[in-house]
Amino acid sequence: MRDFAAARSEMAEYWHIRLGLEDPVKKFFSQAPEADVTLEADIPEKDFNSAGRGSAEVKNLLKRLGVDPEVLRRVAVAAYEAEINVAAHSLGGSMTSNIHPELIHMVFQDNGPGIADIEQAMIPGFSTADEMVRELGFGAGLGLPNIQKNADALHISSEKGDSTCLEIIIYFKNDGQ
Amino acid sequence: MDNKKYFHALQILEDNCTGCTACVRVCPTEAIRVRDRKAHIDPNRCVDCGECIFACQFHAIIPRSDPLDLIHNFKYKVAIISTSYFGQFTEDISYEVAKQALYELGFDDVQEEAMVTEFMVKVIQNYIRANRDKRPIISSNCPTVVRLIQLKYPSLLPNLFHLEAPMSILTRYLREKIQEEKGLKEDDIGIFLIVPCAAHVTAVHQPEGAYKHLQDGAFSIGMIYGKVREHIKNLQNNPPQIATYPKGLTWALSGVQAELVDCEDIRALSVNGVENVMEILSRVEDHYLDQYDYIVMRSCTNGCVGGCFNVENPFVAMSRIKKMIKEGENGEVDIHELEELYDEGEFDVAPLTPRPIMELDTDIKAAIRKMKQLNEILTSLPGLNCSACGSPSCYALAEDIVLGKATIEDCVVLLKRHSKEDEQDPQQK
Repeated sequence: MRDFAAARSEMAEYWHIRLGLEDPVKKFFSQAPEADVTLEADIPEKDFNSAGRGSAEVKNLLKRLGVDPEVLRRVAVAAYEAEINVAAHSLGGSMTSNIHPELIHMVFQDNGPGIADIEQAMIPGFSTADEMVRELGFGAGLGLPNIQKNADALHISSEKGDSTCLEIIIYFKNDGQ
Repeated sequence: MDNKKYFHALQILEDNCTGCTACVRVCPTEAIRVRDRKAHIDPNRCVDCGECIFACQFHAIIPRSDPLDLIHNFKYKVAIISTSYFGQFTEDISYEVAKQALYELGFDDVQEEAMVTEFMVKVIQNYIRANRDKRPIISSNCPTVVRLIQLKYPSLLPNLFHLEAPMSILTRYLREKIQEEKGLKEDDIGIFLIVPCAAHVTAVHQPEGAYKHLQDGAFSIGMIYGKVREHIKNLQNNPPQIATYPKGLTWALSGVQAELVDCEDIRALSVNGVENVMEILSRVEDHYLDQYDYIVMRSCTNGCVGGCFNVENPFVAMSRIKKMIKEGENGEVDIHELEELYDEGEFDVAPLTPRPIMELDTDIKAAIRKMKQLNEILTSLPGLNCSACGSPSCYALAEDIVLGKATIEDCVVLLKRHSKEDEQDPQQK
């Protein structure tokens, strides 16, 4: 269970919940139900050859569950962007996808170095990507805004010098039921 | 799910099939299983790509097309040739001769897909500009690509170019024109395609999204090739004077076709080969390729020149066609009449419906339950993906077991392990 108040003061947090979904999202986080199916993927640092494999796997799984094509596309975009983010900006990390009957909950946990200013990172076009990442065609500063656009709920907790944890929730039906 | 039976232009000759699973492993939609030592194709999953035909060393999977005699059922017989046809002949045989030889097969009229290429490029460019909200637009010419999207990438259906393919556009145009000019009834006119692949035969017999009567049959380039060669011998002494459309031959080559559509405000990408097509479709799904306005996708190597009905190697055929494009001069095409029909909506297609094949169950809770079962089974399978069970991979076998189409006893590796254990410890049994 997540204790919001106990978040340490130096731990920066960012919440975004799609309008009208506050109740089911809060309920989900407070009850923290066990997932029916879980997928795990490693995301090695700066390995753009294998980045995207985790999200491809999630996509295939959701197709097998018969998830609506439009919802699937939103999951695909959010998962891919988040996976690339971990590969591009962190020292590597992992992706865990928890499937519940009504939603998918994806957790991207990295090994640092943390986001200095989350609010700034949410501004479209802002990027701290280095030359190598940009040369590969990534790092345009649209990753996080794009994730937010496609997610029903987004939660980021990060500490400068430490790790970042990004969580995404997408409901399979629009009303969150 | 509807239980409509899907027609396919592929046939398994059971007498030739050894159950070797070569086809099972190459099928991009996992449509083939070997059961009781014979391959079976699931008609709901097959997209007619032809990969299994290439993979089978025993000629047990053969593509089907219509018998040429079919044309005698009609008073007026029209052939429309796929552009890849012209890449099939050695360079001493001219474009004109290769085309004239088709008349000798008994056709009253021979027309080329290449005729409408210029018109198509204009229409595609207009369509892209009118649908900027959908990015990228995906070409709908390759029937395999269209079916692949219906089956595995249904979220991309709105991105398909929603208009008939060139050979069908030509069919609609000619049927109307010939009725008028020759005073014939619609049913007196037989319009046939000469095609490079099985997917086009399937598309003729089971078109997706067609509002109207299109073609009356499809003949394989390979099947008519022998007969055509006979006539070519005679024709070469008297080369005919007929119109040809070399500039339009781009349609057989996905790369060159993409370059034609590419312009100042339209960025085009070309992809060929079914594995590449699937990878790109998956990336389009991620919105990763939104910088492109148009993607030409063809399931075969280099485009239609790679189809299984062709006789020449796809790279050689491509090189020959490129030479013709470079050196030739186009005959007159009156686009005016085509444009009128286009404005009347004559070439429109109905929106395509998804045909999902990947669902474990229509109810998501049941599907999750099956997925859990599947994962459990998967942990007990050896993970060798040897296909000896007749399913393409351990994952596919687990899926087949969950769906009641196979049992764990089908796994040969487990069977051997178990029998060894029994040998070592007979008491335990």
